Amino acid sequence: MSWQALRNRVVLPLAGVLIVLAAWQATLLAYDLPVVVLPPPWLVAVTLVKLLGTAAFWRDVAVSVYEFAVGYVLGGVLGVAIGMLIGEWRGFRLAATPVVESLRFVVPFAWIPLTILWFGTSFTGKVVLVAYAVFFVMVVSTSRAIATVDPTLSRVGVALGMNRWRLAWAVHLRAAAPTLASAARAAAAIGWIAVVAAEYIGASAGLGLMITNAASSLATAVVIAGMVVIGLVGAGVSALIGWLARARLDYR
Amino acid sequence: MRALGSLHARLAPRAHAWILGCAGVAIGLAVWTLMAHVLATGGGVINRLPTPARVLAELTRYASGDLWRDLLFSLRVFALGWAIGAASATIVGLVLGRVRWLGSVFIPIVEAIRPVSSIAWVPLSIVWFGFGLGGKVFLVALAVFLVVIVYAIDGSRRVSPALERTATMLGMNGWQRFRSLVLPGTLTEVLIGSRVALMAGWGTVIVAELVAADSGLGAHLISVEQSYDGPAVMAAMACFGITGFLMNALFVRVERRIMPWRHDSNEAGS
Amino acid sequence: MSEHGGELAVEQVSHRYVVGGRTTPVLDNVSFTIPAAQVACVVGPSGCGKSTLLSLAAGLFAPSSGTLAWDGAPVRLGRTQHLGMAFQQPGLFPWLTVRQNVAIGLRTRGKGRVEARRIAEEFLATVGLGEFQDAYPAHLSGGMAQRVGIARALALRPRLLLLDEPFAAVDAFTRLKLQHELLALLKRYRPTVMFVTHDVAEAIAVGDMIVVMSDRPASVSRIIPVGREDKNRASAAFARKLAETLECLGVGSDSAVE
Repeated sequence: MSWQALRNRVVLPLAGVLIVLAAWQATLLAYDLPVVVLPPPWLVAVTLVKLLGTAAFWRDVAVSVYEFAVGYVLGGVLGVAIGMLIGEWRGFRLAATPVVESLRFVVPFAWIPLTILWFGTSFTGKVVLVAYAVFFVMVVSTSRAIATVDPTLSRVGVALGMNRWRLAWAVHLRAAAPTLASAARAAAAIGWIAVVAAEYIGASAGLGLMITNAASSLATAVVIAGMVVIGLVGAGVSALIGWLARARLDYR
Repeated sequence: MRALGSLHARLAPRAHAWILGCAGVAIGLAVWTLMAHVLATGGGVINRLPTPARVLAELTRYASGDLWRDLLFSLRVFALGWAIGAASATIVGLVLGRVRWLGSVFIPIVEAIRPVSSIAWVPLSIVWFGFGLGGKVFLVALAVFLVVIVYAIDGSRRVSPALERTATMLGMNGWQRFRSLVLPGTLTEVLIGSRVALMAGWGTVIVAELVAADSGLGAHLISVEQSYDGPAVMAAMACFGITGFLMNALFVRVERRIMPWRHDSNEAGS
Repeated sequence: MSEHGGELAVEQVSHRYVVGGRTTPVLDNVSFTIPAAQVACVVGPSGCGKSTLLSLAAGLFAPSSGTLAWDGAPVRLGRTQHLGMAFQQPGLFPWLTVRQNVAIGLRTRGKGRVEARRIAEEFLATVGLGEFQDAYPAHLSGGMAQRVGIARALALRPRLLLLDEPFAAVDAFTRLKLQHELLALLKRYRPTVMFVTHDVAEAIAVGDMIVVMSDRPASVSRIIPVGREDKNRASAAFARKLAETLECLGVGSDSAVE
């Protein structure tokens, strides 16, 4: 890596992080804030390390991640399937569009109370919520991607004698794959945050619940550590999906 | 049946779209009603599915009652948060975008924090601000900030080279350049970003109110949920969606008026 | 070697497009016959309906009036078993290698996976594309990709080959090379060919007959036979044939040959 690149990609951002940490510490000193309001950075770090050694913490994380994963796969598969139907079949698209458009503005978070009403604070409710959020993103992206496939590829497929289904599966879906991969990452971000939000509002277990409990008992260091974990898991999931996509789907 | 088919095909394509669209909605409502009846006799997990008719009735009742009060509270939170978020994002974005070294230092941090939705900050805001207006405005402002900042940074940097050359030829100094080139470009992008941030902000309002549960649409939503009032829950969700839709439509209109040459396609963000 | 092509007969074909409320006539009473295993080059002004003619020959849709007959029987819609088509854009599937692109056509036509791969490999080797078999379309130049596109069509051993301005998007020098190669392949596999082009010189070089179309709504202005002696670009016969065709197209022949 050249000196320029090293400076820009490593040194300066690192300096930025240090500046933020320094500002954090300085604010503490300047205003003499109680620990419950703003714990010092080292306390957060220590708390995080302690959490990582606690079984209960890992249990909570596992619950949240599991709820997310199941909902994600469910919503993703359904979303792509229905999205393909909408993209391929004009009649279906015209019929489904008003329904999809009207639901678009009822964001996943607005569904949280309803899922609690129906499923209580259980696992099922969270899965349904994540599935809905992911489904929506994937349906819209898939239908749009299928509709914008290079027409030459379709013509070639027809000329080779492909029937409608073969064309949709072997050509359209493959051509749309890179776009779907980006959409899958966006959907993962939304799905993950939906789980966390749902757990803030009504849950019997999970990362969000752990953080809310910490907030009620003013264990601010735990709260901030929990937020870091949320960010890390989100980043991890996103990176995983990106890696999978690049390995298998992205032909560009 | 075939006569119907050929009639169908002969109608103008737009009528075709309308008919199918209405059919889609009608089928959706029919399925909904059917499921509500099926499940009412005790089948399965969802044992409280109100019919569309009941939801509509509840919606009308709410609209003639507390809806406007709750809506006003929510909109107030939203407007404040949105304004603060957009304004601060513009300023910070301008600075980070134009001052090279500052950008290199702080933009990576912004990029790292951005994916962590402001929703994650809810418990922290409770600790800091309690359950009142301040906390909710903070969360909405943060959500809007995180969306708009990218547009602001992009906009402040992206001045077309042709314009730069013109400015040099005219002999503009730094301040003039800023006013005539950088600022309008940035504000244009910020406007677009603010519209994208609409849904992010509005969604954050609801989460903040679901947690804080003191006033507003979200608080109403949680309270009817706790009283097991299915129709009211769905009615409140509908209100939320309709408001979001109206705000978005209004904003698109405004955007088109102010910037007829830019037409960003309306993507479903968060 | 597979059986060579049959006869394609176009009889009094007219076609209209209806878009929105407007009707656009595209073909007007077009009639000509391509004898078995012959190459017919269809030339005419841009947008005169040449591509429509090709699509009708492929059985993609039915003409508004008139008939097309292949091998003595009417062209059936959706039947593509006997066809191979290549377009202006090579249309290679970007997620498949060159070999897989050729193989997928064979598989769609019913060959097993192993057999399709074998045939694809053999064919690519025969046409001199053997070393590119594992390359992805993104790594190919325009000319190379077009070669693969045509190879993909020919690997199916079509009895009817339909080419829609296949060399139009390629630079002039590559175009000449591709014409050469195509001629060699056609001589080897002998399908019946309808080759649409706007390049008159190309039509003379490749075709056994030139079908000159008029402007839209297109009808056949004339059918000009092309003999072997006309194909030598340096010959006077070539120049004469060129002049004759250009005149038929209504273009002055004293301008330089393109």
